[in-house]
Amino acid sequence: MADQVDAWGQLLAAANAGDARAYARFLQGVTPVLRGIVRAKAGGLGDAECEDVLQEVLLAVHLKRHTWDSDAPVRPWLYAITRYKVVDAFRARGRKIDVPIEDFAEVLAADAGTDPTEAADMDKMIGMLDGRSAQIVRKIGLEGSSVAETGQALTMSEGAVRVALHRALKTLAVLRERHVK
Amino acid sequence: MKTEDLIRALAADTVRGPDLRTTLLLGLLPALAIAVLAVWLALGFRADLGTALLTPVSAARIVLTMLLGVIASRLALTLARPEGAQTARLWPLAAIAVIALGLLAWAYSTTPPEARQMATVGKTMTTCLVTIPLLSILPVGVLHYTLRHGAPTAPLRAGFVAGLAGSGLSAAIYALHCTEDSPLFYVTWYGLAIAGVTLVSTLISARSLRW
Repeated sequence: MADQVDAWGQLLAAANAGDARAYARFLQGVTPVLRGIVRAKAGGLGDAECEDVLQEVLLAVHLKRHTWDSDAPVRPWLYAITRYKVVDAFRARGRKIDVPIEDFAEVLAADAGTDPTEAADMDKMIGMLDGRSAQIVRKIGLEGSSVAETGQALTMSEGAVRVALHRALKTLAVLRERHVK
Repeated sequence: MKTEDLIRALAADTVRGPDLRTTLLLGLLPALAIAVLAVWLALGFRADLGTALLTPVSAARIVLTMLLGVIASRLALTLARPEGAQTARLWPLAAIAVIALGLLAWAYSTTPPEARQMATVGKTMTTCLVTIPLLSILPVGVLHYTLRHGAPTAPLRAGFVAGLAGSGLSAAIYALHCTEDSPLFYVTWYGLAIAGVTLVSTLISARSLRW
């Protein structure tokens, strides 16, 4: 467990220094654990809904990754974001839950969820983006295109694709917030 | 959309915001410089500023408000991080309030009864109550901007310290002009101005600092 967490810190530090591959590995590494937390706290939500909440958490972790102080341990930072977003997401779904942060340790020891389920909410949000932004997110996410390929397909420069992608993800988080209210 | 697809999209996004400390300093330093300039141009520094800074009872209000501003700014930076709500300690702020109240009590007991009312009301109460909140707008705005850029998980507390930070620093700058040296005056009216700004900042944060 400690090794895993250390690895997260190194990966996120590398990611923040611009290493996209390390960042992907960080996200892939934390996802099963966060999924386990969401499911353990969900009490009655279906797997698909849990996956919606998980994606919300991941989006928040992504957009707030500059708030991690690389001298501080990753775990408290990551779980604080998760806790905030999980409480928020469940409240929005009409459930009041209490998520004591200490509980997370047990969840981690327990089996972390696997089996990625299709989640529906994010698709709805992407549908609410403007056409070009939605295309960029889908090309890179669903089709697995690189930024360069996406740029060629849409006759945009790589820089423009990057900026548009970043804006699109920020907008998704805002839409999320509004949709949820 | 499957989660692995989302991760692919997230990993491709390499645009990352500036870190919080940089955001705060880049905003706060110019904001404070503008406040100093505004006091200097609109009101003027007090003529005996050098002497006042060497008089403990007069210098105390600059020291206390500066201390309040700096400590609260650091707390705001802590509370801008998601895990900050667990680690932020607010008691130094209470300690400053206790020292200020102690100063007030000391001034009350050492001021002759017939002079107390005049010392408390002073001559510039209105200027003080208007100027400090006005000077606070920009610094508090910068702090709120930084908090929004961050990920505060205790929005009310974050808004509270942001209000104290901005108004504390602004009060210290206003003190460069103000000649009311009795703690009966400055603890009361600086305190009221700071409390007002902090209340507004806290109320705003309940809605504005959600993310």
